[in-house]
Amino acid sequence: MKIVTITAAILLTALLSSTVVAEIKFSGYGSIVAGKTLGTVNDPLNPGQKRDEILTADFYDVGQYTNDITFNAESIFALQAVAGVGKGFKITAQLVAKGVDDFEPEFDWYYLTYQASDNLTLMAGRRNIPMYYFSEFSEVGYAYPWMRPPSNLYWWQVTQFNGIHAMYDFDWGDYSNTLSFFYGNEYSDDNVEMLYYDKLYGGNARTVNEFWTNITGMNWNISGDNFDVRFVYFQNDRDRETIQQDGSIDDYSPFSQTFIGLGGSVDFEPFTILFDLNFVDYDDARGTEFPTYLISVVYTQDDYQPYVSYSKADHKRTKGSSPTEDLEEHYIASFGLRYNFLPKASFKVQYDHFVDQGHEASGWAYHGDSDTITMGVDFIF
Amino acid sequence: MNVTKESHMLCLFKNKKWIVVVSLLFSNLLFLNSSNAEVSVVVHPENSSTFDKSIIKKIFLGKSKSFNNGRVAILLSPAEGDPARQVFNKKVLKKSSNQVNAYWSKMIFTGKGVPPQEMASASDIISAIAANKDAISYIDSTAVTSAVKVVATF
Repeated sequence: MKIVTITAAILLTALLSSTVVAEIKFSGYGSIVAGKTLGTVNDPLNPGQKRDEILTADFYDVGQYTNDITFNAESIFALQAVAGVGKGFKITAQLVAKGVDDFEPEFDWYYLTYQASDNLTLMAGRRNIPMYYFSEFSEVGYAYPWMRPPSNLYWWQVTQFNGIHAMYDFDWGDYSNTLSFFYGNEYSDDNVEMLYYDKLYGGNARTVNEFWTNITGMNWNISGDNFDVRFVYFQNDRDRETIQQDGSIDDYSPFSQTFIGLGGSVDFEPFTILFDLNFVDYDDARGTEFPTYLISVVYTQDDYQPYVSYSKADHKRTKGSSPTEDLEEHYIASFGLRYNFLPKASFKVQYDHFVDQGHEASGWAYHGDSDTITMGVDFIF
Repeated sequence: MNVTKESHMLCLFKNKKWIVVVSLLFSNLLFLNSSNAEVSVVVHPENSSTFDKSIIKKIFLGKSKSFNNGRVAILLSPAEGDPARQVFNKKVLKKSSNQVNAYWSKMIFTGKGVPPQEMASASDIISAIAANKDAISYIDSTAVTSAVKVVATF
């Protein structure tokens, strides 16, 4: 990651200095969010012991709320530079600093865009995987009403990849369509989320490397006067190296997964309905499945946008013995208010009620219930 | 945001009546402002494309990239805070200024679209359009001159 970051930094610096007169546009986004959980819970992994309630707000970076107020779980600052470098070519880089990383900036996005024709756009480089409806802009708090897309669905240990995208725009009657095809790989060395799980279950691994390869799929986005809906399908290969202190690597059986989903937003003034239905399927020995869904209603009255949301995640094993239903299972019921106090800034306050319905005996109920309050400001510039 | 303002707002949230009163006041103000103003959508006089509300909405959200004449549209908008922008957002895009900004933030930071270029004044918009056959924008109807062609009013 470091090498990639440095390369990107050199590339950007070279761009900035060699194209002094070229048009470079800077913009950015950020969130300053504080929050805490409200109580204690019986530790599902250590029966008989109490611990603070924990809400994992950011699984990928393991940004968590406990009883102590923190600004670090979700606060983020991002600066984007877009440089036109010639006929139809643009380079985009996004430098992102997160509280969970002690605000150490990293190039989370850097890609080349080529406008091949009026309707066809090609992109190559590092971007977010277009998984869930909100995945690609899940860190741009200003872009959606809630504090975050529900973290019990946006829980994957890999969210970005290096790859290529082809986007084709076309009209279909009154509807605007975009078809995107993508291919790429992610070699996530020192994966934060997987190392966290290793420690959570009493492991002492030195590091965990997580590999998602041959990520191949498509998005179909349709929008009309009052709706925007997106279908997604992709598949990829999965592999993992859990490296112990003595350098040995744990056995792991690679497998493939498929991801299918339908999400979007529909306006019924003054209400907006946001939804996302998803199904993840492994071709592993256990026939693992993750059906998940989100439904949310937002009411807009000028600058005030109160909202409710419900997100449910389930985890099944369709083959083999032992518990097959309700392994990792939980829901979050949330309500909150977004107040747009400036044209490019909003204040949000949100209450999350997380209920862990997982199978305790097999260790899948590891989250534990929690009630969390968060408030903060999202902005763009 | 400073601490006093934040705690002040927290008090507001605790008292739902205040939210209703404040938002009603605010919506009345908006209504008074916007009901009087009319905006004109303007293009270069030689642009012979056809326009209706739905086409204009798609163009200004970047969902249609070209005019009927096949040329790629160059989008200009009045600056943030210009009353014409608020009227246009409400009447044509049917969104608040924040909702429009939220929409564009999703497009900008995923590399899927570029919002209209902001112009400082109506006269800047008129001279930019007079100089570019593919430019489109909107201005307060009282600011229109013969240098541009009005294709719709709202």
